[in-house]
Amino acid sequence: MTMRTPLLPALAAVAVLGALPVLLPAGLLNASIQALIAALFACAYSLLAGRAGMLSFGHAAYFGVGAFATVHAMNALGGTGLLPTPLMPLVGALGGLGFGLIAGWFATQRSGTAFAMITLAIAELLHALAPQLKGWFGGESGISTMRMPAWCLSFGSTTQVYYLTLAWVLVSLALLYFHTRTPLGRLTLALRENEHRLRFLGYDVHGLGVSAFAVSSMFSGIAGGLQVLGNESANYVVFDAGVSATVVLNSYIGGVGSFLGPALGAALMSFFGYAVSDTTPSWLLYQGVLFVLVMMFMPEGLTGLVTATLRLLGRHGVMAVLPLALSAVVAGLLLAGGSVFLVEMLQRLCSQDYRSLARMSGTAPPVQLFGRAWSAAAVGTWIVPAGLLAAGALMAGVVQRCRRGLALAASPEVPERAAALSERALP
Amino acid sequence: MNDPILSLRGLRKSFGATEIIRGVDLELRPGERRALIGPNGAGKSTLFHLVSGNLAPTSGEVIFDGQRITGWAPQRINRLGLSRSFQITNIFPKLTVFENIRLALMRHHERQYTFWRVIDRLAGLRAATETLLEKVRLQAQAQTLAGEMSYSEQRSLELAMTLASDPKAILLDEPMAGMSSEETHYTMELIREVTAGRALLIVEHDMDVVFALADRISVLVYGEVIATGTPEQIRSHQGVREAYLGEEAAA
Repeated sequence: MTMRTPLLPALAAVAVLGALPVLLPAGLLNASIQALIAALFACAYSLLAGRAGMLSFGHAAYFGVGAFATVHAMNALGGTGLLPTPLMPLVGALGGLGFGLIAGWFATQRSGTAFAMITLAIAELLHALAPQLKGWFGGESGISTMRMPAWCLSFGSTTQVYYLTLAWVLVSLALLYFHTRTPLGRLTLALRENEHRLRFLGYDVHGLGVSAFAVSSMFSGIAGGLQVLGNESANYVVFDAGVSATVVLNSYIGGVGSFLGPALGAALMSFFGYAVSDTTPSWLLYQGVLFVLVMMFMPEGLTGLVTATLRLLGRHGVMAVLPLALSAVVAGLLLAGGSVFLVEMLQRLCSQDYRSLARMSGTAPPVQLFGRAWSAAAVGTWIVPAGLLAAGALMAGVVQRCRRGLALAASPEVPERAAALSERALP
Repeated sequence: MNDPILSLRGLRKSFGATEIIRGVDLELRPGERRALIGPNGAGKSTLFHLVSGNLAPTSGEVIFDGQRITGWAPQRINRLGLSRSFQITNIFPKLTVFENIRLALMRHHERQYTFWRVIDRLAGLRAATETLLEKVRLQAQAQTLAGEMSYSEQRSLELAMTLASDPKAILLDEPMAGMSSEETHYTMELIREVTAGRALLIVEHDMDVVFALADRISVLVYGEVIATGTPEQIRSHQGVREAYLGEEAAA
C-alpha cells in the first residue's frame, strides 16, 4: 500500500529536482514542468483509483475545473488577479474541491462500472458544454492570461515557473502522503478492501467515498491550476477524454499500489512523450503498446517491477540475479529494436508522401531511417528487424531458463511459488 | 422487569414467493444472553440480517433501545449501539490485524473524518487497539495480514471488531465455527466476560457452548420461533427435541 519513503532518498530526489534548471536546457525544463504537473495529477488520481478503489474515467473534469478557476482568478480585478501569482493554484484547489464534492456526491452513490460511467459522463458533459459557454470557458479559443509579478519575482522566466511548480507539487505530494497516514486515509483504504464491513462498523460509506473523491479532485485542481500558470492560458480541450485516459494510463504504468508509483509513471511517460512525439508520428502507438505490455506482464506497474527485483535480490543475491536482469534487459532491447524498426519502416512505406513518390518514380525509392537509406525491396532491409526479433526471442528463452533456475534453486519443494514471484519481475 | 432492549414484532421476510422468516416475535432484555438455535436453513442468519439492517423486512418491526429501527441503514443501527459479527468472516483481508481492529475502533473514538492528525500518534486509539488485540489473543499476529491468518484466528478478529464499538447489544453469528475445543472454551469465556451488562444474541451450533453461555434459548424452525426458555426448559421441550436436538444427536 503506502511505502514508507526513507528520508534520505527523498531528500536526494528533491535536491536533483531543485538542480534541474541548471542541468537542463530550456526545452527540457518546460518538459519537466509538464512532467511535474502530470506526476501530481497521477498521484491525486491514484488516491481515488488506487487507495479508495474507485476507477474514475473522467478525471480531466477536476483538472479542467481547477485550470479554469485559476485562469479566472488570474484575470480577476482587471488583470491584477485575486491572489498573488504564487498562490493562484489555491483557487484551482478550491475549484477542484468544490466541483469534486458535487460530482463525487453523485458518482459515489454507485460503485464499480456504474461509478466509472458516471465519472466518464460528467467529464464528457463538461467537454461538450464548455465550447458553448463562452463566458466561462472562452469558447473554442479558450482564455488567455498573464502571470503577474509578485513577491519581488517576475515569473517571466521558465526557471521561476519551474520552481513555483516544483514547490507546489512537492507540498501537494507531501500532503497526499500525509493523508495516507491519517485516520481518514486509513479508512479510504478500508473502503477499497471491504465497504460492506465498514457499514456494520458504523461508518458512513457514502461520506467516506465523497471525501476520497473530493480530496482527489482538489489535488487534480491544483495540477490544473499549475498548468494554467505555466501556459498562461486555458482551453476547453483540458476536458478531453484523452486527458482522462492519460492519467489512468500513467498511474497504472507507474503502479497505483504504491504512493510514488503513479508520479514516476506520469513523469516517465510525459518525458517519453516529449522525446518521442517529435521523432515519430507513431508515438501514441508506442505508448499504447507499452501500456498493454505493462498491464499484461506486470500488473503492479513499474513499482511492482522494482519491488519484485528487490525481493529477488534479497533472496538470491546480486550474482544470481545479475544474469537474469542482464538477459532480460538485452531481450527487451532487441525486441523493442526489432519492433520499432518494423513500425517505423511500415509507417514510412504506408505514408501518403512515400506512396505518391513511388507512384511518380515508378520504383520503390529507398527510405531514410536511423541515418541510413533502406531499400524497401531489398531482402537485407527486412532481415534487420527479423534478426533483431529472432535474437530477442532467443534471449527471452534464456530469461525463461534463468528464471526457472532461480526458482529451482530457491525452493525445490514449491517451484510454482517462486516462478510466480519471478514472473512479476520480468518486463 | 426492564423494558426489552431489542424486540422483534411480527417480523417477516420473503425472497420472491419463498417466505424465509414467517412472523418472528422475540424480546431481548438488557444484559440477557440469548442463544438462537435451529436446524440449517431455519433463517437464523436472515434474522440477523433483518435486525442489523443488512436486509429490510417484508413486514413487521424491529425496536432497539426504544427506537423503531426497521429499514435503517446498517451504520445508523450500529451507531445506536447494536453491533454484529458475520457467519462468513467479514474482515479487511489485505490489511494487518492491528489495522483491522484500529479501523473498527476508530468510529467509536470519533475519528472518522480526522484528516489533520497522523493515526500512529493517536495514543488513546493505539492503546485501545492493543488492549483489544490482547483480549482476543491476537497480539502476536498484530502485523500479519488478516487474510493470511487461520480460520479460527479470523473468527477471533471478527469478534474483536464486533466488540470495538462498545455496543449495548451484540449479535454473534457462529463465532466459534472452526475453532478447536480449547479456542472455543477460551472464546466462550471471553464472550461471557465482554457481554457482562450487554445484551447478547448468539447463533451457535456447538450445543455445549449454547447451554453453558445462554440465559435463555430460542428455537427457530422454518422461520418461526417454536420455543423460548431456559436451557433446562429447552432441553426437556418435546417439540424442540423432535425438531432439532434429536436430529443433532443422531448426526
